Amino acid sequence: MMLQIKNLEVEVENKKIINSLNLSVGKGEFHVIMGPNGSGKSTLALTLMGHPNYKITNGKIEFDGKVINDIPVDERARMGMFLAFQHPEDVEGVKIIDYLRLLLEKVKGIEPAKALQIIPSKAKEVWFSADMLSRYINVGFSGGERKRFEILQALLIKPKLLILDEPDSGVDIDSLSLISHKIRELYEQGTSILLITHYGRILEHIDPKIVRVHIMKDGHIVMSGKEELVEKIEKEGFKKVFEECGCNE
Amino acid sequence: MRRLKRKDSRKYLRSVVAMSELTVQDARSIIEEQIETLKKRNKEPEWMTKLRYKAMDAFFEAPHNDPIIKDPLDYIAKAEEEMYPEVKSLDELPPEMLALLDRLGIADVEKKYIAGLAVQSDTSIVLNDFLKEWRKKGLIVESMEDAVRNHPIVKDLFLKQFNPYESKLAAYHTAVWNGGIFLHVAQGLKVPMPLHLFFLIQNSAMAQAPHIIIHAEPNSEIHLIEGCTSPVLVRHSLHLDMTEAYIGEGANVKLSVLQNWPEYVHTRPMTRARIGKNAEFINTTVGLGTGKSNIANPKYWVDEGGYVELNGIILGQKDFYVDLGGEMNLDALGARGLNASKSVIMDKSSVITRGLIRANAPKTKGHISCDALILNPEARMETYPGLISQVDDAELSHEAAIGKIREEELFYLMSRGLKEEEATQLIVKGFVNPLLKDIPVEFVVEIRKIIEMAVSGGM
Repeated sequence: MMLQIKNLEVEVENKKIINSLNLSVGKGEFHVIMGPNGSGKSTLALTLMGHPNYKITNGKIEFDGKVINDIPVDERARMGMFLAFQHPEDVEGVKIIDYLRLLLEKVKGIEPAKALQIIPSKAKEVWFSADMLSRYINVGFSGGERKRFEILQALLIKPKLLILDEPDSGVDIDSLSLISHKIRELYEQGTSILLITHYGRILEHIDPKIVRVHIMKDGHIVMSGKEELVEKIEKEGFKKVFEECGCNE
Repeated sequence: MRRLKRKDSRKYLRSVVAMSELTVQDARSIIEEQIETLKKRNKEPEWMTKLRYKAMDAFFEAPHNDPIIKDPLDYIAKAEEEMYPEVKSLDELPPEMLALLDRLGIADVEKKYIAGLAVQSDTSIVLNDFLKEWRKKGLIVESMEDAVRNHPIVKDLFLKQFNPYESKLAAYHTAVWNGGIFLHVAQGLKVPMPLHLFFLIQNSAMAQAPHIIIHAEPNSEIHLIEGCTSPVLVRHSLHLDMTEAYIGEGANVKLSVLQNWPEYVHTRPMTRARIGKNAEFINTTVGLGTGKSNIANPKYWVDEGGYVELNGIILGQKDFYVDLGGEMNLDALGARGLNASKSVIMDKSSVITRGLIRANAPKTKGHISCDALILNPEARMETYPGLISQVDDAELSHEAAIGKIREEELFYLMSRGLKEEEATQLIVKGFVNPLLKDIPVEFVVEIRKIIEMAVSGGM
């Protein structure tokens, strides 16, 4: 199992956000998590990555057969986890090219000279020109640029598990289509995917047959199924779906 | 190559013990001896020797106000008489100096720019290369000792922006100044590549007091890079350099000072500049290793339409004490000034920034910005912006941002696999980056290395 979450309970500032959450993501699987605002989706993503503000009060997270509850974020990343953030941070004064070169050197062991060949060509695939590469990380970026930059980093790192927290929010239609393509590309290269989203649109370029869908509500998964679940939610909304399944109790 | 004698270190240590018991009479005779030595060695004209003696008198009367150096008498020592002979190329430098230049990447810089490179050891310029060609066009770079003899104009420029009675350190500098350069750029001459000057402090306990005059005639252009460093770590030394810049009408001068002192050196750089009509003076000071303490309050006077910029980059480490001021007088219509500093404050260091801008004429514009990144709870930062407007239609403003590295920023970078140390280094380098715009890329690389080492050391 790539990722196994058992009976997870998470607190933020002494408030319980996630409780009795169970989820397994196998190698080469494509999972989608949907849920209304405040259901704990982003909390789950940040907890999986090891954000210090998110305290695990019960349960465990296993990655690649190892319990990672107490493993710091950078080590999780080097083990093969990658989180594409919903709101990627600005890093003032740090040029993208310098950052990516350092990343490839430190994390992938790629020599700087080689990195300088790889980066511009990958960047072009997500519409980042050479000029863009000398801009500061995320500073003054549009929504689409931010999300495409997250994808660029994932493409360079090729993680074992890619967690995407709303890669479709605040994104223009063309970027959305490109991002969907690139997620498929990573999936096809063997990366396991855990995608958090509100809308089915991001699945545009993904084969519906491979997708496993989970619905989150009040900090845990209330429903799991296949792609039809996405359509149902898009058509009827969370409220109606929750009423039908008796999930409101 | 001819090498002259080096001071015996044991003898030197004995002299340190004796120094702390100096009486005023002892001090007077030591300074007198220094003046006489310098006078003879430099074959100085009479006006200079007179000026030195006047400054010696001033030394005993002038006020002294320094939070670190309680008694300047502690730093008064015998002037070194040895000189390196003039050498023709980098290969002829003494090996320890060459090794240092190598470490700083300077040999590479020199090769790349084919610009002037002057290296000054304790008291004399040892290398003066690539300058003959430019001399013909009107660029004069000479040791101050030579310039005092060779160029009558030096008399009109020397110590015209300072008064030895204003402070003991200014007086002491004037009495015993040694080394430094005279830089003269003829009218309309534009020097396209930066000129490098390096100070190497080698004899500890001795006050190194180079005097620098930058004389940029109207519409000229030059960029001078001063590097200060020391290959010897022995004991507290005092570095008292004084820079007087005269920027003629329409001239454009950049002065970048890279300081990388060992932790035993106290530095008190004194810089003043008169900026002519529509002239521009960009003064960048990068204090990487600022020494035990570094206190500077550069002053500028800006004429009509002129512009002055002070960019201060400060890396506070260990228990260093850094106080960077900056006083800008906007004296005529439309003069402008910008005082921008970025401090990275680590360990138990203290950093103070205090910019002062006086708007003395209409339509002048001034801005002070102070950013600080504090990496340790024991590090201290204080900032005191001062804005004084004597007129109605001046535009003066200031902003300050003092804080720690944002946790989210660190988490973002670490979530990609960078270790905390690597991510912190990246953030710190990014923080200072915008102020390094005028520094040649080779030095930026070196500066980044020093920042990386400092951040690692502090973690």
